[in-house]
Amino acid sequence: MSEKFIMVVDDDPDLVEAVSMKLESKQFRVAKAYDGEEAMEKLKGEKPDLVILDVMMPRKNGWVVCDEIKNNDATKNIVVVMLTAVGDAVQSTSYTHHDGKTTLADDYVPKPIDMDKLMEIVDDHLGA
Amino acid sequence: MTTNHDQEDLMQKPSRNPDAEGDTTVRGNVDEIFFQPRVMVIDDEERIRDACDRMLTEDGFEVACACNGEEGLQLIQEAHFDIILLDLMMAGLSGFEVLTRVKSLHPDTVIIVITGYATIEHSIEAMKKGAFDFLPKPFSPEDLRLVVRKAIEFIRTLQDISTEKSRMRVLINLLADGVLTTDNQKKVALANPAFLKMIGSTRTNVQGCPADEIVTDSALLEMIDQALGQPSGSFSEITEEIRISGDSQDKETILGATCIPFRDRLGRNLGTVTVLNDITTLKHLDQVKSDFVSMVAHEIKSPLNSVLMLLDNVKSGLAGEVNDKQAEILGRVTERIKSLTSLSSELLDLAKIESGLIHQEREEVDIAALMEEQADLYRPKAESRSIDLKVLPADGPVSAMGNRTNLCEVMANLISNAIRYTPEGGQIRISAGVEDNFAVFSVADTGFGIDAEEQERIFQRFYRVKTEQTRPISGTGLGLAIVKSIVEAHHGRIQVDSQPGQGSTFRVYLPRMQM
Repeated sequence: MSEKFIMVVDDDPDLVEAVSMKLESKQFRVAKAYDGEEAMEKLKGEKPDLVILDVMMPRKNGWVVCDEIKNNDATKNIVVVMLTAVGDAVQSTSYTHHDGKTTLADDYVPKPIDMDKLMEIVDDHLGA
Repeated sequence: MTTNHDQEDLMQKPSRNPDAEGDTTVRGNVDEIFFQPRVMVIDDEERIRDACDRMLTEDGFEVACACNGEEGLQLIQEAHFDIILLDLMMAGLSGFEVLTRVKSLHPDTVIIVITGYATIEHSIEAMKKGAFDFLPKPFSPEDLRLVVRKAIEFIRTLQDISTEKSRMRVLINLLADGVLTTDNQKKVALANPAFLKMIGSTRTNVQGCPADEIVTDSALLEMIDQALGQPSGSFSEITEEIRISGDSQDKETILGATCIPFRDRLGRNLGTVTVLNDITTLKHLDQVKSDFVSMVAHEIKSPLNSVLMLLDNVKSGLAGEVNDKQAEILGRVTERIKSLTSLSSELLDLAKIESGLIHQEREEVDIAALMEEQADLYRPKAESRSIDLKVLPADGPVSAMGNRTNLCEVMANLISNAIRYTPEGGQIRISAGVEDNFAVFSVADTGFGIDAEEQERIFQRFYRVKTEQTRPISGTGLGLAIVKSIVEAHHGRIQVDSQPGQGSTFRVYLPRMQM
């Protein structure tokens, strides 16, 4: 089986590290990005099979990144899994659930992340 | 029964002027009465005029006499009379004509008709024309006193009502809160200056005009409709937040509006009372606080959750093999961090609940039924610890005005505390009742009990009783603080009776609905 390639995008480096570590232990190849702009930049290179994408990030939030991925023929086949924490903590920011409903993400995982559940979702989408 | 009358009944009437008391007997000293009544006798018989004059003057009245209708009408143009004794059969203007004229000129003058031929027909006709009472000739001084006394009682009652009304009006006009009352046709009965200012109306005389002429906010009008639409069996306060926009965004006013129907003794809706409360500053501060708490919670929770994930990776050997001692330490670290994340969650809950308490929807809540519900929810947990949890039946209906969700939270907290702080095999008794103006519910356990010194501190945030027995019980120390916040926002109080080793009883007092 060829190694599947996953990009993890979150502004919390510890979260990126923890998720990457887990993915690598399951024989995935991992790329890391720490904000929306950086993710878009890296997506111009090798296309990942799946992106794990945080919502609340500086420099282009997750909803926007997701829309750009899904509206570009070069990247629209990439599976997008959104990490959402908006509902439980911050109600009054520009990241609202309403925006989320119109995005084209393939799946959502609430924060704090249940790692086993995230791995299950990744496996489901990548048919591993 | 008129609208006004019932409106008076709604408010508690202060006791009467003490000076006015003691005159319920027929013969009392008129000087004690707070006004000196002016009486006019209109009769063409001199004998009658003199007799009345003498007797009434003796009793302290100010008396004037007229020998016919024309003279009588002349006199009432010069001065106001409280009572007129009027002969029906006189030469010239008849008594009936005088009666009609007096009633149209001085509607609040009390007229007592005197006549030598007291027939039913005449009595009825005089009463229809507005006479207060009827004095048939011949009459004794005692008969006269009786009927005049009765008239004075009547005048005083009218004066009381009008004094009370004016007192109420001054009081309501002084309030910083906006007050609007309407009748059941949605016509304005009263709108105080604060109300008019809050809704941005510049009108001054609004009494009697339709509410939607002065109130433009649709939400506010809707509330009045809802209040009037409530069937007599149910009663709830309608509460909304209303935003009145000013010249610019900064000038937006946020009003807490509460609307209730008021009713007569048969439960029919007579009208509505709406109270507006300017909560702009509170809401603004609350927003600042809630943004801050959210930010802090987010900034604390997120990294802690990342740390937990990293720890999990290490524990599961992703970063190399872990020996037993290391695994044990990592386990303890994980538990500690988990309790910190749950603390930040509870802090968020507290902030949310407290901000929700500023202005919230209240309704009549059946306390006894709510108690049963909550007890059923917790029974399995109690049984798993062999604790006997029982709800004692209430004597009658127990209800209070409150927010259902909040009151559930209060009961759930007290019951779950009782279960956690009661050793296996113990008992918990839950009951509800009525004490004076309060609905009371209590949760009594046979648990560890609380020291007298500790009793005052258990309602403080983050305070936890630490004894040998309670050490293994986990908690954040916020539960009772949340309970207290809710109870106090309901204008109630909570108290605890406890003896170490004997158990504790928590009692919550909530004001009952006042009709």
